[in-house]
Amino acid sequence: MPAYTLEIIVVCTGLAMLLIDAFAKLEDKRSIAWLGLLGIGAAFLLLFKVEPHTAGVEPESAFWIFYADDRWALFYKGLALLATFIVLLLSAEFEEVVRRHIARPGPDAHPQAGLGEFFALPVFCCAGLMWMASATHLVGIFVALETVTISFYIMVAYLRRNAGSLEAGVKYLILGALSTGFLVYGFAWLFGATGSMELKAIAAALRSDDVNTTAALFAFALILVALAFKVGAVPFQFWIPDVYQGAPTPITAFLSVGSKAAGFIVLLRVAQPFLESPAFAEKTALVFAIMAGATLVYGNLAALPQSNFKRLLAYSSIAHAGFLLMIVAAAPKSGAPDALSPAAAVAFYLAAYLAMTLLAFIVMTVVRTRQDSEEIAAYRGLGKTSPFLAFCLLIAMASLAGIPLTAGFFGKFFAFALAIRAELWTLVVLAAVGAGAGFYYYLRIVAEIYWRDPAHEDGSGFPIGTPLKIVAILLMLAIVAFGVFPGAVLGLLAAHS
Amino acid sequence: MNFLFYLFAATALAGGIGVVINRNPVSSAFAMIVSFLGLAALFIQLDAYLVGILQILVYAGAIMVLFLFIIMLLDVPSEERRRLTFGALAAAAAVAGGFLLLLGSVLRKHGAGRAILEPLDLPADAPSDVHRIGDLLFSTYWFPIQIVGVLLLVATVGVVVLSKRELR
Repeated sequence: MPAYTLEIIVVCTGLAMLLIDAFAKLEDKRSIAWLGLLGIGAAFLLLFKVEPHTAGVEPESAFWIFYADDRWALFYKGLALLATFIVLLLSAEFEEVVRRHIARPGPDAHPQAGLGEFFALPVFCCAGLMWMASATHLVGIFVALETVTISFYIMVAYLRRNAGSLEAGVKYLILGALSTGFLVYGFAWLFGATGSMELKAIAAALRSDDVNTTAALFAFALILVALAFKVGAVPFQFWIPDVYQGAPTPITAFLSVGSKAAGFIVLLRVAQPFLESPAFAEKTALVFAIMAGATLVYGNLAALPQSNFKRLLAYSSIAHAGFLLMIVAAAPKSGAPDALSPAAAVAFYLAAYLAMTLLAFIVMTVVRTRQDSEEIAAYRGLGKTSPFLAFCLLIAMASLAGIPLTAGFFGKFFAFALAIRAELWTLVVLAAVGAGAGFYYYLRIVAEIYWRDPAHEDGSGFPIGTPLKIVAILLMLAIVAFGVFPGAVLGLLAAHS
Repeated sequence: MNFLFYLFAATALAGGIGVVINRNPVSSAFAMIVSFLGLAALFIQLDAYLVGILQILVYAGAIMVLFLFIIMLLDVPSEERRRLTFGALAAAAAVAGGFLLLLGSVLRKHGAGRAILEPLDLPADAPSDVHRIGDLLFSTYWFPIQIVGVLLLVATVGVVVLSKRELR
């Protein structure tokens, strides 16, 4: 089965969801979410049945200029599908809050009016993420990226009777449109400098001598500005805290995982030709190193005084982008080819980040649905009232902080190992300071949930649905399993080569 | 030919300046149309007829009408004249000056204006721009076009969901 079948399945699922929402009279619109889960789950299982395309055997179609189905593409497609699956589950859980904030109950309106689209949009966004994972052509990258970004604009502003959500939507729209402008301008310069929009041909052109260095570097700078917006790297991180805080919680989870993974795969694909070309490697790596250092310091230090849990995770997402950029900065000098490759380290980090962030957001969604608060104070005494949720949060925070025996530890470990091998000492020191600060603000949450008395007196816990509970348990198992045997993920990456 | 270039470049620039200095949003929008017309003429001088026509049809036509429509619908008031402080002026001058210096040095280094572009030597029976672009869009680039289809669907859904007064 060729890889592009997966996207066809995902898009058809999304279309089916929209059509059923429009034409079928449903009692409970959450069944649309179950349909989406079915489609996404099927696509995820079929991911393991994909047979890579072999070049030159069949009559070559123009399609393969735009589409790669190598192991990286498949790995990131898997991440996108997993993230979407969990986000859909969370959205179904979040149904009540969405309903409260979008509909003005009219006489003949469905009580869950507007909910079907809330479940369908992440599915289309997932298709965009998957196309992005495979994109090998600047035009393909651009249209896939825009599909993802535009669906995020809508999802962020979805709670249309909530000022915070609308504000987040407007901010995200304006800054996102600006960064898109930079991206297109950068692509135009790259096309002008290298004469091609195919990444392979661009890589070849950058290695040759007759490329205009100034023009290519200018293109690189513009593209970097745009992608730094997407992944949330300093100095283009201003939108992150407000947008994360204002967006509906499941969408924040999607934004922090999906948008970041997609940003990094495009960053890797576009930056690779530069990082591998002898004329550009040193300059581009230096830019990445500076950006990584600034991101590490800003993300970690700004997270320290936060009192809102969602905002804290927003700053933490900036901090993690710093660690990921550190890996990219170390790429050109990471030495022996037999050792861990930077691309594999980034993939592992993103997989670990996905598991631990989504786990934290599962807890946050449950608490938000029941208690209508995202302040850290709302989590006080969670260990007594809801031991299961508290334990989930403990594992997630331990992994985000990078405590050994969790996936987050190895993510950070690989980042440090590569930076040390590349002898980026300043960056290593900054990262160590950042990781230390991380221990404080992540474990502060653990202290609040276990060592403080519950904020509300009745002592009742927060119930959690069975499907969500199973997913949470699986995520915890994954975090611990990757933390004990990191080779499992790395092997998955190597096995397809 | 050279005279025409300067004429249209000046038109485009004047339009751009008009957008910034007009206090009334409607006048700004009209100044933008002037700027777009100048740009379109420049494209046509470069033998890029399709781009030039699209510039007029899409930008000066459709998008500007949308702008005007929104400005008039929202009844945006004229901007109030702000008193400029010395600090603001100095900062603006520093940024603009720095940018000009940078631009000037880059243009000098790469010898802008010295290269002379030969007119394209196309055979008389070559297919037109529109023909060739359409051909490429629906042969080589069919895959991105399909993705754009999904993108437009998502955007349409979003507009309906976010702006409909009462959802059913």
